[in-house]
Amino acid sequence: MTSWGVGGQGFPARAGIGLRSPHVAEVIATRPPLPWLEVHPENYMGGGAAVRALDAVRAHYPVSFHAVGLSVGSSEGVDRRHLGRLKALVERFEPVLVSEHLAWSQAGGAYLNHLLPLPYTEESLRAVCRNVDEVQAVLGRRVLVENPSGYLRFATSAIPEAQFLAELTCRTGCGLLCDVNNVYVTAKNLGLDPEAYLDALPADAVGEVHLAGHSANETDGRMLLIDDHGSPVIPAVWALYEHAVRRLGAVPTLVEWDTEIPPLEVLLAEARKADARLRGAIDDADAA
Amino acid sequence: MTRTLPELQAAFASALLRGDARGVADVILGDGLTPGARVQIYWNHVFSTLTDVLETTFPVVCRLVDRRFFGFAADRYVRSHPPTGPCLFEYGETFPGFIASFPPCAGHPYLADVARLEWAVNAAAHAEDRTPLAPAALEAVAPEDAGRLVLRLEPSASWLRSPWPLDRIWRANQPDADPDATVDLAAGGVTLEIRRGPDDAVTMRPLATGEFAFRAALGAGATLGVAADAGTAADPGFDLPAALRALLDEGLLTGVALAPTSSADVQATPATQEGGSR
Repeated sequence: MTSWGVGGQGFPARAGIGLRSPHVAEVIATRPPLPWLEVHPENYMGGGAAVRALDAVRAHYPVSFHAVGLSVGSSEGVDRRHLGRLKALVERFEPVLVSEHLAWSQAGGAYLNHLLPLPYTEESLRAVCRNVDEVQAVLGRRVLVENPSGYLRFATSAIPEAQFLAELTCRTGCGLLCDVNNVYVTAKNLGLDPEAYLDALPADAVGEVHLAGHSANETDGRMLLIDDHGSPVIPAVWALYEHAVRRLGAVPTLVEWDTEIPPLEVLLAEARKADARLRGAIDDADAA
Repeated sequence: MTRTLPELQAAFASALLRGDARGVADVILGDGLTPGARVQIYWNHVFSTLTDVLETTFPVVCRLVDRRFFGFAADRYVRSHPPTGPCLFEYGETFPGFIASFPPCAGHPYLADVARLEWAVNAAAHAEDRTPLAPAALEAVAPEDAGRLVLRLEPSASWLRSPWPLDRIWRANQPDADPDATVDLAAGGVTLEIRRGPDDAVTMRPLATGEFAFRAALGAGATLGVAADAGTAADPGFDLPAALRALLDEGLLTGVALAPTSSADVQATPATQEGGSR
């Protein structure tokens, strides 16, 4: 295992927002007081106006890359061409963090644009470790791996997800992106205890936290939570975030909103709510 | 039945694309639901996202056939032509060809060409950045080499010929167009150039047939000699020096290479000048 620098040194433990296309022009024009912004690098792998806008954003803010397309859970390995394009973007924009998901999307030449679930087995762990090792070697830096939202369990899964992630950090030196909303959604959908899940993650490895809204859908008389990033963070997830911050300390936090995207000010207000909780954690640590 | 990870992922991907979870039902715990209902959650996301992507890239096609029919066509297309990579702005290149051979679209013979135009606009918007060559770029070329020059053109540019008045159809179906305007489908065909300009705006404009043939041949990788012949074949009055000046003036020329004299290894074209990436 190579030991990677954590990256993002001097990166503020404050709350930023995921930057989506409806807000790009406004952010460039008004430069709201945000400590950092996060983008999906897959949206910037061409040329033209999108990349030029990211240049303008990057000139004023630290930017984090939250990848969705590496498919590090794929048994076929990582798409080298795609990884090369990511490397070129990382070199150009020097993001403070680079993250991906514990999921797969690619099989048999098809790219299914979703974070598909893995059976948590030793075989899967070896595949994910091999892929994360390759990503970190090519990018020359540590990446964070995010816990996905779960909607099903495989009968063959033998390792609890949090333990699977902990083992992944041990074997590859990668960090974790703890999505507190995903923990909540997964726990409710699969009958787990969300606090116990959080407590099983290796706190030292968590380099970023995500927050978002989800929706509740009734299917065959059963309530299923869908991680659609289309509404405010719900009170139960704020409470879980407070639990996470007590355990993890002040970790850079990001608010995501991807469907039914509201005015920028709504996202800024969500980020301020997260900031208030982060400040509380820092004050508590100072008092102790 | 225990399956290896490659087997499981192949079966899961196939279940998603076919919308039929039976092939993976035995490995999924229902936890109070059918395995199919759980796979359906992933299916919903994949298909709704990709339908949105196609609707964003092909808004005029969607408007011409109405959204419900477009959703039906998109569903069939996604099943048979799923994305092959994670950059979704690159998804849909084969959608025009799919429409051309999709029987329910047979009553709209112009639809596939409208889709080709929309794809060209999308590709132009996202094409890689390349700096145009300076106007002096061709001065150093020895006259005897001119015929085997390979001119690289701006990556966002493409050339589209259609028997239908595509540009008029496109304009009449933009959000700000006069809703009562009609397009005469018998108005005649077009030879269009689509490209992204220095201000990042994508434009389309009709070209004269000689210039169209010349640029389309260069865009396909032909040598200057072959492209000039194509221009003259399309229009006996084709003016090569003027056409070359226009390429430079319009910032379309981004690289110059010399094709080898032997036609046997015509693929190996050493670059002599290349616009850098911006």
